[in-house]
Amino acid sequence: MNYIIEGLINGILMGSIYGLTALGLTIIFGVLKVINFAHGSLLMVGMYVAYWAVSLSGLHPYLTLVVVVPVMYLFGYYLQDIVIKPIFKAEREVREPITVIIVTTGVWYILDNLTLLVFGPQYRSIQDNPLRGKMLEFGEMLISVPKLWGFFAAIITAGSVYWFLQKTRTGRAIRATSLDRDAASLMGIKQYRVYNIAFGIGTATAGIAGVTLVPFYNVFPTVGVLFDIKGFIIVVLGGLGSIGGAILGGIIIGLIESVGPQFMAATWTEAIVYGLFLLVLFVKPSGLFGVRYDW
Amino acid sequence: MKGTKISQHVFRGILATICVCSLIFFTGTPSLAGPEVVKIGNIIPLSGPSASVGQQGKQAREMAVEEINAAGGIKSLGGAKLEMLYADSESKPEKGVAEAERFINTEGVHVLTGCWNSAVTYPTTAVAERYGIPFVVPVSVADKITEQGFKTVFRIAAKDSWWTRDQFAFLADMEKEFNTKVKKLAFVYENGDWGKGFAGQWKELAKKGGYEVVLDEPYPSTATDLSPVVQKIRRAKPDVLMLVSNAADAILLTNTLAEYKVKLKAIIASGGGHADPSFLKAAGKNARYIFDIVEWETDVNKPGAKEANAKYKAKYGENLTGEAVDAYLATYVLKDALERAGSLDPAKIREALATTNLRSGPGMIVGYSAVEFDKTGQNEHAALVIVQINDIGSGMERITVWPKEARRAGYTPVFPMP
Repeated sequence: MNYIIEGLINGILMGSIYGLTALGLTIIFGVLKVINFAHGSLLMVGMYVAYWAVSLSGLHPYLTLVVVVPVMYLFGYYLQDIVIKPIFKAEREVREPITVIIVTTGVWYILDNLTLLVFGPQYRSIQDNPLRGKMLEFGEMLISVPKLWGFFAAIITAGSVYWFLQKTRTGRAIRATSLDRDAASLMGIKQYRVYNIAFGIGTATAGIAGVTLVPFYNVFPTVGVLFDIKGFIIVVLGGLGSIGGAILGGIIIGLIESVGPQFMAATWTEAIVYGLFLLVLFVKPSGLFGVRYDW
Repeated sequence: MKGTKISQHVFRGILATICVCSLIFFTGTPSLAGPEVVKIGNIIPLSGPSASVGQQGKQAREMAVEEINAAGGIKSLGGAKLEMLYADSESKPEKGVAEAERFINTEGVHVLTGCWNSAVTYPTTAVAERYGIPFVVPVSVADKITEQGFKTVFRIAAKDSWWTRDQFAFLADMEKEFNTKVKKLAFVYENGDWGKGFAGQWKELAKKGGYEVVLDEPYPSTATDLSPVVQKIRRAKPDVLMLVSNAADAILLTNTLAEYKVKLKAIIASGGGHADPSFLKAAGKNARYIFDIVEWETDVNKPGAKEANAKYKAKYGENLTGEAVDAYLATYVLKDALERAGSLDPAKIREALATTNLRSGPGMIVGYSAVEFDKTGQNEHAALVIVQINDIGSGMERITVWPKEARRAGYTPVFPMP
């Protein structure tokens, strides 16, 4: 019984972190109506920033959020402003510009290969750190402390983004743009600035996810790809554009991955995850927590 | 019209043949008068995906040939020098076959070596067999290469199935040496071809050795969380954990095992991710006491190994690798055979190779103690080397522990893990 509870807890913790890695994807899609294929790479950049901030300062990883969040926000803001915005402008008449998707794919390749060029293919992980390898022990049961931190980071981040979108003036502007960008523009909302901000926020959450992962996972140039695929499944599962859906979708995946292997070979859990993904697409294409009708 | 074209073709062909024949005749005669040269055709990947391994093999061969020629060549052939010819296989089977034909028919080589990629070696050895030219394979792991019933193929390095064989031989030796009984094994491996192949052989060997397999767990190499697998290992309570992992998962698994404080007597890995240069750095202290199987390690305790490595490093700027050492040894095995054959007749060279019994000399810097070929042409003494990761004062490093005669001087393996 113990090990099932242990698996459940690990699944919820790890799943919420998966949700956090997918949060940026869902935010950016919600506003820009574009699947950001570079999201995994943004997460990778976040992990490298966190890795260097932690290993150079030797501080508690979560203290480096002070650096990571603004750096990643600005990175995302200007990436959208400089690289993606011109494409949007060129395709003003199209509701879901395909070209932008292709551009984000280009950004993915450029970022991954640039990192490979600058930092090499090495796998890195922080060594001496207050969080690394810490476990809470309850008799036979072990719970990973860095994952527990990650769980709280995910909940707080998702909560704050939700609050920001609901309660602040900028948040309302973002939601208005997401609902109908032409109408929003007519109301005096600067559409492209809102895009920049949304992209910045999405990238910043990828940075936070990077900070939560660095204490127990490795950093390498293609690390984003591993989380990218999961991110897409989570976002579709939870409903594209839904913030709570991303976290819940993440937890579902985490639970399958964590509890599943207690009853079968770990390889099978992947099949279950993809099976569930297909099932959701068949039965409820808008996702478990998504909005049924598109605006 | 058609008929005249064909006859024209035939005529041209005959003309070309006559030209080529006379060329061979005229250029061939004078070389017989001069000092003899042993022509060795080497077909190795010098470009393409395996280029770096091919380059290592080429450098090692060149170093060996330089040494042999400087020491007076093949004495029984009147001081004949070794002449190395290289062809690039590009890791392509058809290229290997074509180059073998060219080497035999146009260059008139006496011996062939190569090709590292098993997929190239396999068809290329068939060409050599057809012409009766001896073919020395320094390293190409596929079992089937020496299982074709060929008379002219000789492989120096261990074959695929011997990796798992040696992991179990090592385990049995450790049990004896440290008087510790191992009963329960857990197999955890990446779910690709490589991991599954190893696991299949492990199961058979475990049955033969009387071990109990308490866990048999494939996992996806792309896993971002391996704690469920580690929980399973913890629950199964094995004595020894055997692993096949790629890089990212090897690090993750090692760290997670340490986090969950899994008690084991030993961990035996299978190269791959555990041999990746960044593994030691990224896993750090958690990698301590892991055993890993490799072809060769720079610290093997064999006379001449250190010097050979230093010389190679000075010449080419990098350490000797398993591939390079196999190629280096192969050149010395050839030299030994040529010396005993005393002739350039391929059949005589083949005879000499078949009766090889090399136990010392500059080439014997491998972990095992001799080169002797069995009926299939496989070096029956070939074995792999097992290292232990430990910190004995200069950071985490890989220390050779097995076979016992190759063990680093003054090091006692830590078994079972404290």
